[in-house]
Amino acid sequence: MTRNEAELKLKETFGFDKFYDEQWETIEKLLRGERMLLIERTGYGKSLCFQFPATQFEGITVIFSPLIALMRDQVRGLNEKGIPAEFINSEQTQEENSQIIQNAVDNKIKILYIAPERQENQEWIEATRKMNLSMIVIDEAHTISVWGHDFRPAFRRIINLVQLLPKELPILATTATATKRVQSDIEQQISGNLTTIRGNLLRDNFHLFVIETKSEDEKLLWLAENINKISGTGLLYTGTRVNTQIYARWFDFVGVDSTDYSAGLDGDTRKEIEKGLMSNKWKCVVSTNALGMGIDKPDIRFIIHTQIPASPIHYYQEIGRAGRDGGKTYIILFYNSAEDDNGVPEDYKLPKAFVDGGRPSLKKYRQVINELKLEQLGERQLMKKTNMKQTQIRIIKSDLIEQGIIKEVLFGKSKKYEYQYNAPELDTAKFDDLRNAKLKDLDSMVNYVFTSEPRMKFLCEYLGDSLPMKFENCDNTKHKKIIVKPSSLIIEKLTDFRETFFPILNVESRHSNLENGVASSYYGISNVGSVLHRCKYEGGGDFPDFLLKQTLKAFRKTFENKHFDIVIYVPPTTSGDLVKNFAEKISSVLKVPISHNLSKQHETQPQKVFQNGILKRENVLDAFDYSDPNEINNKSILLIDDIFDSGATIREIGKLLTNFGAKLIIPLVIARTVGGDI
Amino acid sequence: MKQEYAYWIALTHLPKMKIARKNELIVRFFEEKLSIIDFFHCNKTDWNNLFLLNEIEISLLNEAKKELPNYSFLVEDILEQGYEIIPITSPDYSPIMKNNLKRAFSPPLIYTKGNKKIMKENSIAIVGSRKADYVSLEFTDYVAKKASKDYKIVVSGFAKGVDKQALDSAIKYKGQSIIVLPQGITTFNSGFKKYHKQIVNGDVLVLSTFFPKATWSVQLAMARNPIIYGLAKEIYVAESSEKGGTWSGVMDGLRKGRSIYVRTPLLKEKNANNLLIQKGAIPVNSKGNEINNYSVPQIIESIVMEPTAAINDIDSKITKLLAFGPFTSKEIIERLKLDWTTRKLTNYLKQNDNIEVLGKKSPMKFKIKSNEQLQKSLF
Repeated sequence: MTRNEAELKLKETFGFDKFYDEQWETIEKLLRGERMLLIERTGYGKSLCFQFPATQFEGITVIFSPLIALMRDQVRGLNEKGIPAEFINSEQTQEENSQIIQNAVDNKIKILYIAPERQENQEWIEATRKMNLSMIVIDEAHTISVWGHDFRPAFRRIINLVQLLPKELPILATTATATKRVQSDIEQQISGNLTTIRGNLLRDNFHLFVIETKSEDEKLLWLAENINKISGTGLLYTGTRVNTQIYARWFDFVGVDSTDYSAGLDGDTRKEIEKGLMSNKWKCVVSTNALGMGIDKPDIRFIIHTQIPASPIHYYQEIGRAGRDGGKTYIILFYNSAEDDNGVPEDYKLPKAFVDGGRPSLKKYRQVINELKLEQLGERQLMKKTNMKQTQIRIIKSDLIEQGIIKEVLFGKSKKYEYQYNAPELDTAKFDDLRNAKLKDLDSMVNYVFTSEPRMKFLCEYLGDSLPMKFENCDNTKHKKIIVKPSSLIIEKLTDFRETFFPILNVESRHSNLENGVASSYYGISNVGSVLHRCKYEGGGDFPDFLLKQTLKAFRKTFENKHFDIVIYVPPTTSGDLVKNFAEKISSVLKVPISHNLSKQHETQPQKVFQNGILKRENVLDAFDYSDPNEINNKSILLIDDIFDSGATIREIGKLLTNFGAKLIIPLVIARTVGGDI
Repeated sequence: MKQEYAYWIALTHLPKMKIARKNELIVRFFEEKLSIIDFFHCNKTDWNNLFLLNEIEISLLNEAKKELPNYSFLVEDILEQGYEIIPITSPDYSPIMKNNLKRAFSPPLIYTKGNKKIMKENSIAIVGSRKADYVSLEFTDYVAKKASKDYKIVVSGFAKGVDKQALDSAIKYKGQSIIVLPQGITTFNSGFKKYHKQIVNGDVLVLSTFFPKATWSVQLAMARNPIIYGLAKEIYVAESSEKGGTWSGVMDGLRKGRSIYVRTPLLKEKNANNLLIQKGAIPVNSKGNEINNYSVPQIIESIVMEPTAAINDIDSKITKLLAFGPFTSKEIIERLKLDWTTRKLTNYLKQNDNIEVLGKKSPMKFKIKSNEQLQKSLF
């Protein structure tokens, strides 16, 4: 096919007149069955480089993409153009996915987007044996490099696959963010006869600022007073899920139209928010960096980070989602440089903790290896045998697989990890290398904060671009630096807010009549945690009254209008009557009668002993009984406890009370932990 | 090179082409210093001239080529699960099997899990009936013990009876073992669970020559037997009846000129061991030692020979008939006026190594295998 012929078809199907030269170069090679790596900035038109040839091939093109939002957007766009495209991911039901897989086998689909994790799914693997495959695309290809900024273990299998694919099957890898090192890593991984095209990554419509603060509060204060002054809508990225809630509630409090988003939300809610984002429903969506990658919104007018990302590449990737239309776009980064007693800047701590805490101890690795030498075990079995968190097991698992020490083997429908004959020794030097590389990246990110160079130049050079042009769109060049000077009014407001922010306890499920409850505070964020600890574990006596006040405040704000028939409390493990006494006080203040009839059937261990939900659930399974079921039949119950961690205890009690006929159970606790920080 | 694996699977499991022909092509491209990838991507002229492929073969290969991406997905999955894929050109491939089965019968590809190095050690196979009696199991145990002491690998087929005893004994005496599967390698979960420790320690290799996802079947169990013989330098028979896997396996082995050691039975035993000795197998005593001047006791012969004589009679009638060309079971029964059911005869013929099955769909036709194929020994 000549370029002219192709461009006629392009006009017909996609409505564009011409390809860019680099687009055509890529497409021409793919049509000839070659392998390509295409590095171009966001908004360049990389998708067309596979969508167009896909429409010319006889069979199906499979696109591995880690971005669910992108899949949805692109499939919608393709369908509108009359091109049969579908996606398979965890947001759809199994039946929907199965139907799409069947359509793919029947060659009814031209373009199929699929999450890399699917390569571990047997239904998919079985189906791939029957598909007429024409091309494989790896989107966001930087994720196949461990040196890339967010390596995904699931992509390891995609690399393996690519190395096994036959000659003459076209393969395209694309990314908008690859340093030279990542580029050569991808080139090596994909191997074969690969051609790389690298465009320039400059985004000249970005206006970049860094705001140095001396406290967390200054961030909240500046945003409250200024975010509405930025035109258009945008994104605010926080470092943690807890912070998405805090910032969104704060915005609510000061009248900034916003909503919070994180990977912790269910699929429907996430979709709802993504839709709202597209239609500018809010001034600002407060999110972890789970949102925005691959969202095809041309006019995100600002992206603000309240925490520094792990590296300049992360940062470039995350801000890259804004301003695709080329219009003026504000890019703001906060950095709290206040130092703690050890001289470590506050905002260095969280990303540093991610680097340090990224890997479990070597002892844990050995423990897993030893268990697996004895027998093949599934993930849950391993969690039970080792008392480790799921996240830890998963990290260890993927490292051990990566090093060829274990394999993931299918036993019927379940997967088990199997220690391999001739397995190499655990190579810990690799971990150190990676850790050092990550620390270096983080330090580069801090350098970005304090650099006096043009900020875009700094980023482009970090990515391996060197551009001879002049940069003027940042607070190191033409723009003024931003200094935080809050009014006393807004400072007062923040104090008010602090006293009325109460974390939600998510316990609703189909299995019980539990409804989401509330805690008076997070465990680690205020002094509540240390007070509780003193009372519980250091014989500090009853919970002090300020906790009662705070808890009642949380109750009133959330459940003022709800009617309760009875107060019940969680029977103790080790802390004696603290919770009972606390519940009695609540009962007398609220004038709701208390019952002492919830009891333990057998001894349980303190939940904090257990590192994962499975063991926590087992610890409390059938642990409770209620001696007078009649008294709760058809009643609304307020369930009191001191600390809410995994929620396993509350759920177990919820189930029991539901079985005895309780109409409604709502938990009220003093503190909820942030990711198990007891 | 890992990229070759999909190509190897495509060629190995290509239907309608004999192993001998596949191996011929492999030898050819190997000698031409081409990879299997080069071979698949040859143009038609090269396929014609260099490999002397006919039109049917070319269209078969073109079909297989289309499935290469699909096989790549399969390969990724099986490598990910710790199975190894060993083509006949690999230095890891069992040299013993190549030597025993030659070009005509060596599988172009084997799938393994475990210590593949033991394929290169001296090895013995101990075979016998699934319903072997105590004497046979004791013999098996003894031979396995001796082999393990002498650092010989015990090859067995993971069937009940003698096979299982051979494996268990090898493990008991801290020897090493190859389990040859009558199924695809990915369908052996229970075994991998049971022998996890032995596999991890390098004492057991699990091997299959079938499509990785194939489940157990009688046909695969029969087809597996020659592989057991192929992987072993010496073959010991604990017990055989006059038909079934052991019998046809030994007969096949004898035809291929292998030395096969058969346990001499006690007088009261009713099995076909003596018959095998008469057919050319080497008699050994209960310790596996060769007996020089063994003569088959008459009394046993008469008891055992009776039904066999009848069968042999049928055999020769069938052979004569099939000399005229291929026939279906029904036609054979009609012409020879046998009182067998067609089903019984079909099964009987399928297990007979001298007879070849034509076509996969019923009614199948049967013909005598050509001698040519049996004599090839260029490998």
